[in-house]
Amino acid sequence: MSAALIVDGLVAGYEPGTPIVFDASLRVAPGEIVALLGPNGAGKSTLIKAVAGLVPVSGGAASLDGLDLLCRPAHRRVALGLAYVPQIENVFATLSVEDNLALAADLGPREGRRQRLLAALALFPDIETRRGELAGRLSGGQRQMLAVARALLAGPRVLLLDEPSAGLSPKIVGELFARIRAIANGGVGVVLVEQNVRAALAIADRVVVLVQGRNRLEGTPAQLERDPALAALYIGRPASGVPA
Amino acid sequence: MNLQFLMDGLVVGATLALGATGVTLTYANLRFANFAHGEFLSWGAYLTMTLAGLVGGLSGAPLAAQDPFSIGMGLLACALLAAALTGVLALLIDVALFRRLRQRGTAVTAVMASFGVSMALRALLEALYSTSPRYFSEELQIALPLGAGMRATPDQLGVCAVTVLLAAGVALLLARTAVGRQMRAVAENPSLAQVVGIDVAGVIRTTWLLGGALAAVSGVALGLLVQVRPSMGAELLLPLFAAAIVGGIGSVPGAVVGGLVVGIAEAATVRFIGAEWRAAVSFVLLIGVLLLRPTGLFGRRA
Repeated sequence: MSAALIVDGLVAGYEPGTPIVFDASLRVAPGEIVALLGPNGAGKSTLIKAVAGLVPVSGGAASLDGLDLLCRPAHRRVALGLAYVPQIENVFATLSVEDNLALAADLGPREGRRQRLLAALALFPDIETRRGELAGRLSGGQRQMLAVARALLAGPRVLLLDEPSAGLSPKIVGELFARIRAIANGGVGVVLVEQNVRAALAIADRVVVLVQGRNRLEGTPAQLERDPALAALYIGRPASGVPA
Repeated sequence: MNLQFLMDGLVVGATLALGATGVTLTYANLRFANFAHGEFLSWGAYLTMTLAGLVGGLSGAPLAAQDPFSIGMGLLACALLAAALTGVLALLIDVALFRRLRQRGTAVTAVMASFGVSMALRALLEALYSTSPRYFSEELQIALPLGAGMRATPDQLGVCAVTVLLAAGVALLLARTAVGRQMRAVAENPSLAQVVGIDVAGVIRTTWLLGGALAAVSGVALGLLVQVRPSMGAELLLPLFAAAIVGGIGSVPGAVVGGLVVGIAEAATVRFIGAEWRAAVSFVLLIGVLLLRPTGLFGRRA
């Protein structure tokens, strides 16, 4: 399957001259979930932030459906079909749930705007009942769902999710990941940055492991689950099991 | 008790409200206190006066007044154009200076630069028009009785009505339109706004245009009710910031209520304590609000 998102040899960092990501590469096909794993400080979040346009890039290339991403500001990357959901502060707390969604719906064509907004709400019944409330009053899981719903309203080709399970109960993580699987089944490529390795391996089609800003391992979840190197990366020594 | 001080306070508050609305929007979206904002009031008033002079000169007669007001539709049209030009002036200053400082420096750098911009804009007005006061109209208006011992001139009532209409319009813009939602989103979290697909630079441009235009209308109102002087905006700077902070940064209804609170507090101080204390009122309100309720009356914590 041809890749929608192609990242090649990306070098990125917050401060000029001090990159956090060195030579990182990533390919995501439509409908594929790629889990981006790695120990703390590996540069996973920095890599997807750089692809989204929030972290300066000093080398490499990134394209979506053949169109260069790096020459475009963050908001134009969204228009090309790239959606990014941050780990924290991923909703506008002082805006209502409906206004959070309307922000994305406003950017699409006027025709069918209301229907798109209602369809996004319908995907997440938990937030549909709270559409008039301030997003700041939602629980952590509901905020994640609202942020994903808002990202979907932009009609993405590829969705970048930064640790969506952080701080959520296992039950909510299960629900959220089931929705992410459904989104991918609809043809959207997903990059999932996760610390919850077991949950990520359960949902991913392919896994890329980043260490110190560089690709270290790559394969299917089945291949990597058997690879002692993955456990070694997380707990510091070779082990038979995959860390939770 | 004579309640005229309430009416006086409402009129002062109405002139402050639109300027404070511009302050609150630029403060919320750009995250720095623009001390040059007061100069946009002065520039709005002088640009209106210049346009009125040009139109009057071309037509061979001064712009006619519309009874019972001391000005007419011609001057209002000039004020509208001057508001647009003041918005463009604010935008040009951002492009030339503040945008670069936002990219490279800290908010403190931009605040200090705004002091410089303020002095430059005021000095330019003094060079172009001199420091002598000017008037939109020299017509003497009779104040109308309003009941409860209060009186107001038609111009004062007109300024109050324009303030209510424009403030309601801006509040509706923020609450109900796409650009309003985008402005609120950028005010809360510009990084997230970018990845939602919002053109943050475009929203900032809209904020400058709107803030500059509202300041110009405020300046014309002040010029109509008092006089036009190069220092008129700078002298209102503290009350404008007091109004915006009392109301709660980012809140348009807050800026209007804050303007009225400052206006009425000033008028009450003059009436009951003494005119020499008037200038201290904004300071006291500002300190009181920052100590007791830093989010202001209508400000919301995220």
